[in-house]
Amino acid sequence: MIRIIYFLSLCFISISAVSQTIVIKGGEIHTGLNQESFIGDILIEGDTILEVSTKPLKADVVVDASNKIVTPGVIAPDTQIGILEIGAISETRDGDSNMYSMGFSVFDAINPNSTLIPWNRSNGVTSAITLPDFNWDPLSGMASYFLLDGSLRVNGVPDVSLTGEIGAVSSGSRAESLILLKDLLEFASTLDEKDISSSKKISEVMEDFEVADLMELQPRDVIALYNLLNNKLPLVIKTNRASDILKLIDIKKLYGLNLILMSAQEAELVKGEIAENNIPVIVNPFDNIPDSFDELASNIRIAASLEEAGIKVMFSESRTHNYHLIRQGAGNAVANGMSYTGAIMALTSNVAKSFNIADRGILKKGMKADIVIWEDDPLEPATFPTKVFIDGNDMDLTTRSSRLTERYTDKRDLPNTYK
Amino acid sequence: MKKLFFVLFSLTINVDTFAAFESTYEPLQSEKILFINGNILDGEGNELLDTDLLIADGKIIAIGKGISVDDKDVKIIDAKNKWITPGIIDIHSHMGVYPAPSVRTSSDGNEATSPVTAEVWAEHSMWVQDPQYALALKGGITTFHVLPGSANLIGGRGVTVKNLQRNTIQSMKYPDAKHSLKMACGENPKRVYGNRGQAPSTRMGNFAGYRKAWIEAENYLNKLEAYDAKSDEEKMVESPPKRDLRLDTLSDVLKDEILVHIHCYRAEEMALMIDVAKEFNYKITAFHHGVEAYKIADLLADNGICGALWADWWGFKHEAYDMVQANIAIVDQARGGKGCAIVHSDDERGIQRLNQEAAKARAAGNKAGYDISKARAMNWITSNPAKAAGIYDETGSLVAGKNADVVLWSDDPFSVYSLAEQVFIDGALAFDRNTGFGPVSDFDVGIVDPREDRVND
Repeated sequence: MIRIIYFLSLCFISISAVSQTIVIKGGEIHTGLNQESFIGDILIEGDTILEVSTKPLKADVVVDASNKIVTPGVIAPDTQIGILEIGAISETRDGDSNMYSMGFSVFDAINPNSTLIPWNRSNGVTSAITLPDFNWDPLSGMASYFLLDGSLRVNGVPDVSLTGEIGAVSSGSRAESLILLKDLLEFASTLDEKDISSSKKISEVMEDFEVADLMELQPRDVIALYNLLNNKLPLVIKTNRASDILKLIDIKKLYGLNLILMSAQEAELVKGEIAENNIPVIVNPFDNIPDSFDELASNIRIAASLEEAGIKVMFSESRTHNYHLIRQGAGNAVANGMSYTGAIMALTSNVAKSFNIADRGILKKGMKADIVIWEDDPLEPATFPTKVFIDGNDMDLTTRSSRLTERYTDKRDLPNTYK
Repeated sequence: MKKLFFVLFSLTINVDTFAAFESTYEPLQSEKILFINGNILDGEGNELLDTDLLIADGKIIAIGKGISVDDKDVKIIDAKNKWITPGIIDIHSHMGVYPAPSVRTSSDGNEATSPVTAEVWAEHSMWVQDPQYALALKGGITTFHVLPGSANLIGGRGVTVKNLQRNTIQSMKYPDAKHSLKMACGENPKRVYGNRGQAPSTRMGNFAGYRKAWIEAENYLNKLEAYDAKSDEEKMVESPPKRDLRLDTLSDVLKDEILVHIHCYRAEEMALMIDVAKEFNYKITAFHHGVEAYKIADLLADNGICGALWADWWGFKHEAYDMVQANIAIVDQARGGKGCAIVHSDDERGIQRLNQEAAKARAAGNKAGYDISKARAMNWITSNPAKAAGIYDETGSLVAGKNADVVLWSDDPFSVYSLAEQVFIDGALAFDRNTGFGPVSDFDVGIVDPREDRVND
């Protein structure tokens, strides 16, 4: 009998989980597409958006969003969320490999219990791309994409892109880095499916390439190189100087790379060529400082200027702990000439499109329900989310920080340790 | 013979009283301006809508509704739907000592060669051509305080400067502003020296280091005072104690002539630092960074110590892990609003938008249950840092008689879309967004395109 009840209750749970629908009602909807916002309803079933409409929609659960703003969840394109807890404590960092180069995957290191996850989630970030450390190699490890839902089995996609860095170096020359990049890509371009079918085969092809030996490449590095060219994996290169950007554009053309520029503080000087070659750019809209001689053209209007040239823009933030501040960055970009719709796209759909995340970043039928309801304009840093949905789940917005705030604003006459 | 002694003695005095590195600041040409119908946040906790502000001769003359001036020379600025605030003040900057580009050869903010370097002065490191000052000016910064870094227990003297970029540091120094003494708690000094196998390598080592230094300073001051107390006759035959630059600075703190600013994150360390200050009878003006200031907000208020804090930085070190966004609000509201909260930057990007940082801190405070007005939160970036720099009698709020350090904002300064349109320092226009008028550092001249100035926006 007990067993039957247990079985029935399981059925009930599973049925209700599937059939329960949610409608987010009457919010000002910014879809993440290049279109004007509108007042409307969003119908969710399970993890999916069933409909987005200006007409009233019905559901089992109604979430009132009137006088509020509704956007897709923010997708963070360049973080170390999940692989970094405290910057100065190396034991809490997992972004670097001593063994592997471009074949290094950070996915297995992601800690779903990191405090950075609820913190960024409670500020509207619903998923993130986490990158290995940049260590001045022209090609380094692979980035992973994952949902900030805190699931212990990480919901995400490993190895969505490769990373690399070109620019000023304290010893040696950037020319050396560019030559190395070309040599590695030349090597990669000779690889076919047979070459990477076994470790033995890989070892054989590596013998023919001195650079493989020089770089102490491992078989998984060679597979990553193969995937870069053959599966058109995005390649995120952090670089700044205009002349370096042009060299990378030449290399992109030569090898058919799916190139994404990051930082790119002098992109404005070569925006025509970046646009012509459909290269998305990740910029930090706060960063108008000429931090180095590679960044002399850096200025606060970069996002507006690249948008105007027709370039797909995304935003980064230098501090991973507060990566959600990309929306303050977006607000600053708008204050300095970017379109509001463009800024919302930069936080959402532009990231999804650039990193081949087909089912997120846009509020429309059939997409996964990663949705944020904001009490007010999300580009104002003084605005907080009131609701965050990931895969249709109404997420808890408690954070360690909100717990500490409660503890220290509790006026009872007790030691903090007893509150 | 006596006469000769006397002559020699007075010569010595003359040499001693030459004030090295004194300010030679001169304001730009000020104007008579009547701002009409602006929304004013005055830095004294008041929001004055549709109000006029009159400035002349570098000073604030009047503030109120319907000010009429019978003077043809007065320039009228229509501030309808715009906002007016005092010039923004950053109490924690490293501009000039860590300039852009951040090359090693100009990174001069930490004399990390000994845990106590009270003898060094930040103003001797400042690069006056740093392009960052102009960026801060475009964010409304009229005054900022430059501190040495936090590698040392006692890092040296900080300096308050006017944000009018010029060719000498003396010409930028805020006239008669007191120096600060930069001290540092916690991880930084113990890491820097511990890694070299020398003291301090622990937090207890840090505290031993502070106390040793203050004991030396007390002895030095006692000797100086004992000498001063001697008769002129005795002074003629006895030479004064040997001057020591390091102890000069520390004894000036004990004489209340230098303001103590301490980099300190953890609550218990701040409480201990307060005891060290009491042990040696000096006053702490502000704790900087104080990620855990909210845990001892009442203690700070009771001791009249400001918290110079970030809105939301955290996680870069263990001592910066317990961040709450309401930190600034909790410090401000301690003991029924007796707290002194300051939003500081310690950052060349943050200094360009302290108004946005204040907006975040206020919003977080109100979310935590406080009811903090914009006018109150404006104090965090104007009058409170002015108090902490010891210049509140002259600037930091829009009060008749004070210096006309004024920012005209395109919009509510607590909005991300608001930009500083015009910035006035001592009643003189220093930046105008609409005309492009503003300083261009030598660094920016012809460096990208020889025919143009580098775009420094």
